[in-house]
Amino acid sequence: MKNIRNFSIIAHIDHGKSTLADRFIQYCGGLDMREMSAQVLDSMDIEKERGITIKAQTAALTYKARDGQVYNLNLIDTPGHVDFSYEVSRSLSACEGALLVVDASQGVEAQTVANCYTAIELGVEVVPVLNKIDLPAADPDRIAQEIEDIIGIEAVDAVRASAKSGIGIEDILETVVSKIPPPEGNPDGPLKALIIDSWFDNYVGVVMLVRVIDGQLKPKDKIKFMATQAEHLCEQVGVFTPKSVQRPSLNAGEVGFVIAGIKELKSAKVGDTITLVNKPADAPLPGFKEVQSQVFAGLYPVESHDYESLRDALEKLQLNDASLKYEPEVSQALGFGFRCGFLGLLHLEIVQERLEREFDMDLITTAPTVIYEVVMKDGTISEVSNPSKMPEAGKYEELREPIITATILVPQDYVGSVMTLCNQKRGVQRNMQYMGRQVMLTYDLPMNEVVMDFFDKLKSTSRGYASLDYEFKEFQASDLVKLDVLVNSEKVDALSLIVHRATSVYRGRELVSKMRELIPRQMFDIAVQAAIGGHIISRETVKALRKNVLAKCYGGDITRKKKLLEKQKAGKKRMKQVGNVEIPQEAFLAILQVGDK
Amino acid sequence: MSVIDLSALKGGLKELPPLSLYIHFPWCVKKCPYCDFNSHEFKPVPGAIAIQAADNVGRSRVGDGFDEMAYVEALLRDFEYSLPAIWGRPITTIFMGGGTPSLFSPEAMDALLAGLRARARIHPDAEITMEANPGTFESERFKGYRAAGINRLSIGIQSFDPLQLKALGRIHDGDEARRAVEIALTHFDNVNLDLMYALPNQTLAEALADIDTAIAFGVTHISAYHLTIEPNTLFAVQLPANLPDDDISADMQEAIEARLEGAGYVHYETSAFGKPGRFARHNVNYWQFGDYVGIGAGAHGKISSHEGVVREMRYKQPAAYLQAVADGNPLQSSHKVGRKELPFEFMMNTLRLTGGFETRLFSERTGLPVSCIQSQLRQAQAEGLIEQDLTHLRPTLKGQRFLNDLLTLFLHDEGEN
Repeated sequence: MKNIRNFSIIAHIDHGKSTLADRFIQYCGGLDMREMSAQVLDSMDIEKERGITIKAQTAALTYKARDGQVYNLNLIDTPGHVDFSYEVSRSLSACEGALLVVDASQGVEAQTVANCYTAIELGVEVVPVLNKIDLPAADPDRIAQEIEDIIGIEAVDAVRASAKSGIGIEDILETVVSKIPPPEGNPDGPLKALIIDSWFDNYVGVVMLVRVIDGQLKPKDKIKFMATQAEHLCEQVGVFTPKSVQRPSLNAGEVGFVIAGIKELKSAKVGDTITLVNKPADAPLPGFKEVQSQVFAGLYPVESHDYESLRDALEKLQLNDASLKYEPEVSQALGFGFRCGFLGLLHLEIVQERLEREFDMDLITTAPTVIYEVVMKDGTISEVSNPSKMPEAGKYEELREPIITATILVPQDYVGSVMTLCNQKRGVQRNMQYMGRQVMLTYDLPMNEVVMDFFDKLKSTSRGYASLDYEFKEFQASDLVKLDVLVNSEKVDALSLIVHRATSVYRGRELVSKMRELIPRQMFDIAVQAAIGGHIISRETVKALRKNVLAKCYGGDITRKKKLLEKQKAGKKRMKQVGNVEIPQEAFLAILQVGDK
Repeated sequence: MSVIDLSALKGGLKELPPLSLYIHFPWCVKKCPYCDFNSHEFKPVPGAIAIQAADNVGRSRVGDGFDEMAYVEALLRDFEYSLPAIWGRPITTIFMGGGTPSLFSPEAMDALLAGLRARARIHPDAEITMEANPGTFESERFKGYRAAGINRLSIGIQSFDPLQLKALGRIHDGDEARRAVEIALTHFDNVNLDLMYALPNQTLAEALADIDTAIAFGVTHISAYHLTIEPNTLFAVQLPANLPDDDISADMQEAIEARLEGAGYVHYETSAFGKPGRFARHNVNYWQFGDYVGIGAGAHGKISSHEGVVREMRYKQPAAYLQAVADGNPLQSSHKVGRKELPFEFMMNTLRLTGGFETRLFSERTGLPVSCIQSQLRQAQAEGLIEQDLTHLRPTLKGQRFLNDLLTLFLHDEGEN
């Protein structure tokens, strides 16, 4: 056990985590050159394109150190986005150490800080690494100072490396061996294994990535999940190098995979503890949480007959993504669809993109919303995640909205504009701390403002430098109203929104004016109205088109004109027919394009 | 024993539609930036006009681009390959389009028409139209075309406004445009002028001024086209600035229609206006889903038989076409129009006619019962796009204005049954 090192990498998107992981694998001979496709640890297409890791992966590496001894290094990859902070905490608690990789020109970002604090709270040894030192803009001394200022760990001796050019790779591995402590645990105690991640494989069912804390796990063991109480027979154990390699057993201190013939991902929850039926542990490992959806949106097929295919697609996605929640919902305007719950906005985008790309679905997505608590007159509390289901004003006692605590790290130059943005979004400042060149702002913000366009605005107002981390704080009573949108006098339920009374009139006006731009002119006038509680606050008209006809149709060759009409028809098919009006997909998200006063 | 009915040919057409002949001339002096037709600039060598007169063997050559008699011979050979498919059917109209057919000499046209008459039955009253562009006009030539048997001219004026003509990349100016019409009217009594509106920077008054000039000449037919930016044209790459917006161009269209109708021109097709009895018979045959043989580079043909409707296309590049004719197969492609496409193709043509069509024409020309489009017709009627009586089906004014929306109803989706 003394020659095992379990570690992960904490880094901001684009700071070079995946490239560094690839270098380790290459250096330790986990894969030959032919098998190395760029960034092997990020395996999904979307991950590759966006450069973010969504599922944790791992690599068991063999490293012969300068002291002559051979070490088993287990690199546990962590998701790198604010939506997946629970997964990050589970990955980190499986490690004794973490490499804090910081871009030597860009410096520390809020996401990194948050993950670092999580690591420190969990007692994980944080080892700083300055990456991309070969870039002209690199300023390692300044960034090292910044790490000390912001995170409060020693960084003068931080390894200086360039994952891309292969500089300093061996130095990092040496530091891993010398600075990160070996795992502790009782090899003879009752089995306690932490589920770091789980996913569905078409051939073997659910695969779990685990860290064995105490005891030993072998095939044929009868295992039990302590949170769900489910029992299964262990079929296979092994490690990823990153290729999967079977092993006779996984022992205390080791990281590897377990296959137990499980069909459903929900019985192997991330953070749960596996023990043996015959010799159970007396208590599970701490920190297990049920994942909660934070952001909700309605997903509807453009063509109503695709409803069943959408259900199948969501079912398949859920096999690999237990945090995706969905339930059937009916909209008067959009027909049959699903109300889906996501961890955050990025998660929503990823799911939407996978449905469109991998399952070839044409979707209408409603504007993202959060969950509200409605306190009824009789004191009962119900939860509403769909604005159109909000009870009429007067039927409830109060409305409560979720508040988050947001930590924003921003260079001094942009503090003013970021504070203005937070105030516009009804934020309440809790703290402000100067840390070298950067400022850390802490705000309580209503989550419904954040899910709209806060992140984009934050990025644009700070020219991309501000970074954000947030966590749920509490539900708070607030003066909220439901804003309805009517198209040709008919209420379109899928466009209803919950907004704060103070901004409701402005938002309503801007929303209909945006809708007017997005709805193409049709054969008749289209009235778009915004209403609050039945009272119309704004109206715009999409003027009728005067004509839509091909001037010249050379009788001889009809093929090109036919293609043109086919294109027009295909364009119409991507729109949703609401009443007799055709509304394009983007109009359902028009609110996201509405600016602030 | 009863009489066996030999007329009931299963699943096919019981009657064949009128037959036209289209002849394509793929060369122009200069390619216009809005044009997406199969036309090619020939590169004039110095003194090309002189050569155009005649060389020592009596053959007119235009620049180094082409040998006109070689092309005429190719057209006649091409036509011969089509004869079996149209055997015995009289040709009711001929249209020589381009490109710029008037780059060809009257002698070449005479040889061509004589050759056609020797090979097929041309109806004595056949309408024989030639397209001509101002800038290629000389009085003597047009006298010669008339003598060769051409009895209708279609002139690509586009506008009488010199600034507009320049913006459209035409080689003629306003004066040349007027002179061309005068020359045409000296020799021909049946003349069409092509005009375009919604041109860059054009005002409503300017658009109407062009129409008024055309009316003042007393031509029998005027085609007024909304300038359309077609893909694969120079305009599609460099969109002209200050194109009139949708509302202004719709105002222009309405004003132009009113002005022409006031002057005695019947608005019988989307963009076509004719004096009574002087509609473009060749085009009307297209729009009534009639048949046509298409010869020449890139020409399209549509030929019906009891087995159904076939569309065919010749090789587009002049050199490739000439080679293909020499090799004995000028067709680049030929395909039978499927049952699912026929209703759309029929409607795409016939609904351009403001008077629509006689309902019986649908089954006569497609071989399909009109019941197969009943649900689309019902929807079109519900949306106010068409009207029907016992014998006719026609687009309403709304249907004419929104013809694309009307036609897409009849488009067959792939994957649908």
